[in-house]
Amino acid sequence: MNNTEIEYDDKLGTKRVRVRRMTFTMRLIHWVNVVAMVVAIATGLYIADPYYQSFIADDAVDKYVMAWNRWGHLIVAIIFDVTAIIVSYLFFFSRFEKHYLKILPTKKNIIEFGEVTLNLLTLNRRKKFDSSHSDSFNSVYFIIFHILLAWMLFTGLQMYVHALASGDSSIGAWWPWMLHLVTDWTIPFSSWLVGTTATGGNIMDVRIVHHMSMWIIIVWVVFHIYYQIWRTIFWQEGDIAIVVGGSKFMKIDKDGNKNIE
Amino acid sequence: MNNQVDISFDKLYNEFENRIKSLEKLPALKENTSAEKMLIEKGFSRRDFMKWAGAITAMLALPSNFTPLMADAIKVVDRLPIIWLHMAECTGCSEALLRSAHPTIDSLIFDYISLEYHETLMAAAGWQAEENIEHAMHKYKGQYILMVEGGIPTANNGSFLTIGGHAKKGLDIAKEASENAAAIFAIGTCSAFGGVQAAIPNPTGAVALSEVTHKTVINVPGCPPSEKNIVGTLMYYLLYGSLPALDAYNRPKWAYRLRIHDLCERRGHFDAGEFVENFGDEGAKDGYCLYKVGCKGPYTFNNCSKNKFNEDTSWPVQAGFGCIGCSEPNFWDTMGTVNEPLKDKLYNTTFSGLGADATADKVGLGLLVATGVGLAAHATLSAIKPPKE
Ligand code: SF4
Ligand code: SF4
Repeated sequence: MNNTEIEYDDKLGTKRVRVRRMTFTMRLIHWVNVVAMVVAIATGLYIADPYYQSFIADDAVDKYVMAWNRWGHLIVAIIFDVTAIIVSYLFFFSRFEKHYLKILPTKKNIIEFGEVTLNLLTLNRRKKFDSSHSDSFNSVYFIIFHILLAWMLFTGLQMYVHALASGDSSIGAWWPWMLHLVTDWTIPFSSWLVGTTATGGNIMDVRIVHHMSMWIIIVWVVFHIYYQIWRTIFWQEGDIAIVVGGSKFMKIDKDGNKNIE
Repeated sequence: MNNQVDISFDKLYNEFENRIKSLEKLPALKENTSAEKMLIEKGFSRRDFMKWAGAITAMLALPSNFTPLMADAIKVVDRLPIIWLHMAECTGCSEALLRSAHPTIDSLIFDYISLEYHETLMAAAGWQAEENIEHAMHKYKGQYILMVEGGIPTANNGSFLTIGGHAKKGLDIAKEASENAAAIFAIGTCSAFGGVQAAIPNPTGAVALSEVTHKTVINVPGCPPSEKNIVGTLMYYLLYGSLPALDAYNRPKWAYRLRIHDLCERRGHFDAGEFVENFGDEGAKDGYCLYKVGCKGPYTFNNCSKNKFNEDTSWPVQAGFGCIGCSEPNFWDTMGTVNEPLKDKLYNTTFSGLGADATADKVGLGLLVATGVGLAAHATLSAIKPPKE
C-alpha cells in the first residue's frame, strides 16, 4: 500500500535511506515496452516505406522481408495490448501505488507539478518538493505516454479491421464487429486532426495520423531518457536505478527529516 | 452440408427463371431483335457470347450451371427502363464504357439496354430532351433504374449546375429522379463519393448522390469503374430483383470485397521486400512490387486485379503503374501524391496551416529536432552553470 515506505540502511549511515519505487512487475513492463517500442518503430518505418534490402539479394531466395516486418509489427502490437491492459489495471488498483491520485487536479498536485517544472527550468536551483515518491509531473508525463500508446493501439486496430472488409474473420463475425465498435471513432477524430477532406472522415487519415503519432512518441522517449539522466546527475539520488533495481536513495538530515528546502 | 447448398441454389435457379419469365412479358423497347442477334450482327460468335455470360456468372459468384440462365437474362435486359443522369462530371464513365478500342460485349449490351434518357447518347436536344426525361420519369414511375454519373453541387442552393432551357438544378433533378426509382446506382467515384469536384476546396459544394436522397444508393465507384462492375451490378439487379450485399461504403460486396493488393500478381514481391525504386529500373523490369513508387493497392477495395480491363488484356499494375486508389472515398484528397508512398502525403490544413506542405516525417523530424535543440541547450546550461552546492 505504501510506496514511500522507507527502509533504513545502516551500512550507508543515517543520511541516506532507500526508497522503493517500482515493483518487479512494473520494471518488467517497462523493459518489455522498451523492446516492443524499438521493434515497433523499426518495423513501422519499414512498412511505411521499405528502407532497406529491395535489391540486394537475388530472386528466388527465401526472403520474406516485408512479411516478417509486418509480422513483427503485429506481434509487438499484441504485446503492447497486453501491457496496456495490465498497466491500466495497476493504475487504479495497484496495492503498491495509487497512480491516479497523482493526476487529479487537486491544489496539492498542481503546486507540486509547478514546483517540479520550476526545478527543471531553474536547473535545479529551486527544489521545493518531496522527490522521494513519484511526483505529479512524472505521473502526468506517464499518462501522456499511455494515452499516446492507447491511441496507437486504437488506430492500429482500425487499420487492421479495415482489411476484414467482409465483416467476417476466422474466429467469427464478432471479432471485426467488436473492433469496429471500439475503434471506428478514430476515423472522424483523425480527420479532424489533419483536416484532409472537404467532405468528411476518411480511413486514410488514420494511417497518416498513426505515422505522425510515432514521431510524437519518439519525442516523448527522447525527453523521458534525458530527464531521467538529468535527475540522476543533478539530484544525486540515483533515480536512474529505479527502473533497474526498483529503488532510489533519499537524503535525510540528522533528525531523520527528508531534505526539502 | 453439400446437399443443403445444392437445394438453396436450386431454389435460386427457379427464382431467377421466374423473374426472367415475368420480365419477358414486359414490352421490349427494340422490336424484332434480341441482344444475341445484335451481338452476332456485330461480329461476335455465339461462343463468345456464352463465354461472356459464363464470366459474368462467375463474377457474381454463381455456379456455372447458371450460365444459360444468364444468357437468357441478357435477352430481356432491354425490358428494364433506365434513366442515366449526368451531374458534375467529365462523362468519363460513359465514355469508358462506350468507346473502347473495339466494342466489347459489355459496351454493346450497354448500348442495347433501354436507356430512356442519357444526355450523351440520345438524339433529342433542348426542349425535347427535357420533355423526354419528364415523360420517362412519369411513365416508368417506381419501375426505372436510375444511374447517376457525377457529383451533386449543393453550394448556392445547387445553382452551380443547371440543365436545359428551364435551368433546372441538377440537385433537384437528382432528388426527383431518385424519389421514383426502383433502384439507384451511383456510377463512378463522383456520384458515389463526390469525386474530383468534391476535393478541397470544393467550391461548388459537390457531394455524393447518397447525400441528397434518403433512398439506398448502390455505389459503383471507380474513375472510371470497370465496365464489368457496371454491367454486373445491372445483371445482379435483373436476376435477383433486389439490391446486392453492400459494404460499409454501399459498394456491392461481390465486386469491392477485396483489396487490389489481395489479388495482385506482384504481391509475392511485396512480401519478399522486392520493390521498384524508380520507374524503369531493374526491379521494374523484373516485375517487382510498385509500393515504393506510390501504389495504393493496399488501401483500395476493388476487383481490377482479378477482372482487369479491355477484355482481360491488362490492368494498371500489370502495365507497371501503381493503383491510385480511385474507388475509395475522397481519394483525390487522401491518397497523396500519385507516384509516392502514402507517408509522403503533404498535409494541408494541419495545425491551422502550420504543417502545410510538409510530410508526416518532415513534421515529425521537425518536432524531434526542436526537442533535441531544447534539451541540448538545457544540458549545456546545466553543465556550465551548475547551482552552487
Ligand atoms: S503492386 Fe501495389 S497492389 Fe500489387 S503487391 Fe505491390 S503494393 Fe500491392
Ligand atoms: S487499379 Fe486502382 S486506380 Fe486503377 S482502376 Fe483499379 S482501383 Fe482504380
